Amino acid sequence: MTMKYVEEYRDPGLAKGLAEKIHGISKKKLRLMEVCGTHTMSIFRHGIRSVLPPGITLLSGPGCPVCVTAQKDIDAFVEFARLKNVIVTTFGDLIRVPGSGSSLGREKAEGADVRIVYSIFDAVTIAGENRDKEVVFCGVGFETTIPTIAAGILMARQAKLDNFSVYSANKLTPPALAALMETKGVDINGFILPGHVSVITGTNAYRATFEKYGIPSVISGFEPIDILKAVLLLVEQNEEGRPALVNAYSRAVSDEGNLKAKAVMNQVFEVCDAVWRGIGGIPFSGMGLKKEFQAFDAALKFGMDLPHVPEPRGCACGQILMGLKTPEQCSLYKKKCTPMTPVGPCMVSSEGSCAAFYKYA
Amino acid sequence: MTQEKVLLDHGSGGKVSHSMFSDLILPLFSSPELLQQDDGAVLDIAGARLAFSTDSYVVDPIFFPGGNIGDLAVNGTVNDIAMCGAVPKFISVGLILEEGFPVEDLKIILESMARAAQKAGVRIVTGDTKVVPRGKADKIFINTSGIGVIPPHVQVSGANAEPGDAVILSGTLADHGITVLSTREGLKFDSDIQTDSAPLNGMAQAILNSGCRVHVLRDPTRGGLGTTLNEIAAQSGVEILIDEACLPIRGPVRGTCELLGFDPLYIANEGKLVAFVPQADAQKVLEIIQDNEYGKEAAVIGRVSRKSPGKVFLKTFIGGTRLVDMLTGEQLPRIC
Repeated sequence: MTMKYVEEYRDPGLAKGLAEKIHGISKKKLRLMEVCGTHTMSIFRHGIRSVLPPGITLLSGPGCPVCVTAQKDIDAFVEFARLKNVIVTTFGDLIRVPGSGSSLGREKAEGADVRIVYSIFDAVTIAGENRDKEVVFCGVGFETTIPTIAAGILMARQAKLDNFSVYSANKLTPPALAALMETKGVDINGFILPGHVSVITGTNAYRATFEKYGIPSVISGFEPIDILKAVLLLVEQNEEGRPALVNAYSRAVSDEGNLKAKAVMNQVFEVCDAVWRGIGGIPFSGMGLKKEFQAFDAALKFGMDLPHVPEPRGCACGQILMGLKTPEQCSLYKKKCTPMTPVGPCMVSSEGSCAAFYKYA
Repeated sequence: MTQEKVLLDHGSGGKVSHSMFSDLILPLFSSPELLQQDDGAVLDIAGARLAFSTDSYVVDPIFFPGGNIGDLAVNGTVNDIAMCGAVPKFISVGLILEEGFPVEDLKIILESMARAAQKAGVRIVTGDTKVVPRGKADKIFINTSGIGVIPPHVQVSGANAEPGDAVILSGTLADHGITVLSTREGLKFDSDIQTDSAPLNGMAQAILNSGCRVHVLRDPTRGGLGTTLNEIAAQSGVEILIDEACLPIRGPVRGTCELLGFDPLYIANEGKLVAFVPQADAQKVLEIIQDNEYGKEAAVIGRVSRKSPGKVFLKTFIGGTRLVDMLTGEQLPRIC
């Protein structure tokens, strides 16, 4: 694997030039939200906050899939792990996330068969190799991940694997942005829109939200130069009073997005309502399995319909995800809630804003 | 220890491991040598200073590009002794084997241990073999302990870093951890990454015998460079600032880390050391390391100050600054 097209986007000279331009034109105090957890990570890892003017605040949005997974869904994953004869397959991020009483990591230590996979296709392979057991995949992701989950289900159907199923806690990004704009008290002057998600959705997916709310919006890649460029464009739009929807990640994102991936996604899944941790129910923001794929729906197969559980007392994950609070303003941060003893998922996921603040700030 | 069960995180080498050590192990075994928290214990016996260290190897898979669990077990203990400033002399080997393990594989592992010992100039002088029923261990576990002699003029410890010191890293980061991880997970990359497992006693002795002042020697193994530097910053009560642009990392290793969301600062190395030396001696020590067969890509990566004692910072590629915290638990691959 080579790193072509990466070093260029970390060039110190280019970065310095962009930072100087931002300093040169920045007059207003601005609150800009990076929607995606991968942006949050990149901003902290590259020390981007430290090169911006003090008047510009970067807020982490609801774009870390683990962070917005409702407590009851985490509880469901734990319940699956406790069932006899079930292998739970999951992406690594979910292992430490605490549910109401336990986590997948705890259950694993207790003897449950919980396996970290890098792709749903590994989970399908495990199902093929363990026909006498049930294999459940924890489906947690956005538009970036959902098409591959759909492809995994198609593969399982093709292989006639009746011991494979998916618990879908998948979510869509644009409805969350609209919900955010409708929330009282939310004060955001611009969105840094997610690059990976936009590769699938295309720029057009944000047009309705942009036209309704007129908020400066820039689709950005994940390298430091990408992010500085996005900040510069958002500052320009704000200073000049000319909001726009700009695709600044055109090397990967088109207007229409990845049509093939969207087709696979829509073949298997359909839009449904979803509960976002800390934010609550958002209409049409989830992706549930279509009727013809219900045989692969773990929730139906196992009758797993847990009640809604309130989030832990004092946990401000929801307000942090909406930019209403910073992690430091949460009463549990660095006290009861640390990466070693996380209370909320924002502290667990490597892309969670609390974990990033704790680790890098 | 607020959790009732041992988790994999307790073996990560990061904060969770440290809390088990300081909350559970240290209070029960309290000895002045253990309190030092260096790579090995320094013992005064009959007028001689000896370094004594032990380590257990449970790596999965047991064979990986560039080495296997056997040479890893010898090099690891040789290096722990060398980082105490000692000349490693004698090694013990404890084998725990799973019933059904192929003797052919055992022979390959033992042969590579013999070669590694010969290369490092140590003798394997005592040992033990146990076999457990199938399923009660994973193929083979190896414990090695070792003893070395510290020359009278040598005085290194993680607690000896001083403001003004230069931090020298002997080569590329994260090769071992990424090799093992990608072999274990069957990640197929078009690359030639292999473990950096190597004996560092020759390099350490060349540094210590050069006449240069050397304050700290440490090998950043489990927990990676980030964790090792945090330990040194805490032990010595100093700030360490490293420069991202100076960190040697191979392209395929960096690429794999990017893909999986891993930070190479927290990935294990098995053939690298960091040396803390006064700025005036830095160039000479760097050249000595680069003259060694395992130190060709060595670089000065940072410096020590008294600004924020106990903290480690990174100057990023783009000129920003950020904290380098100690690893918490195992790094987990991200979702997207």
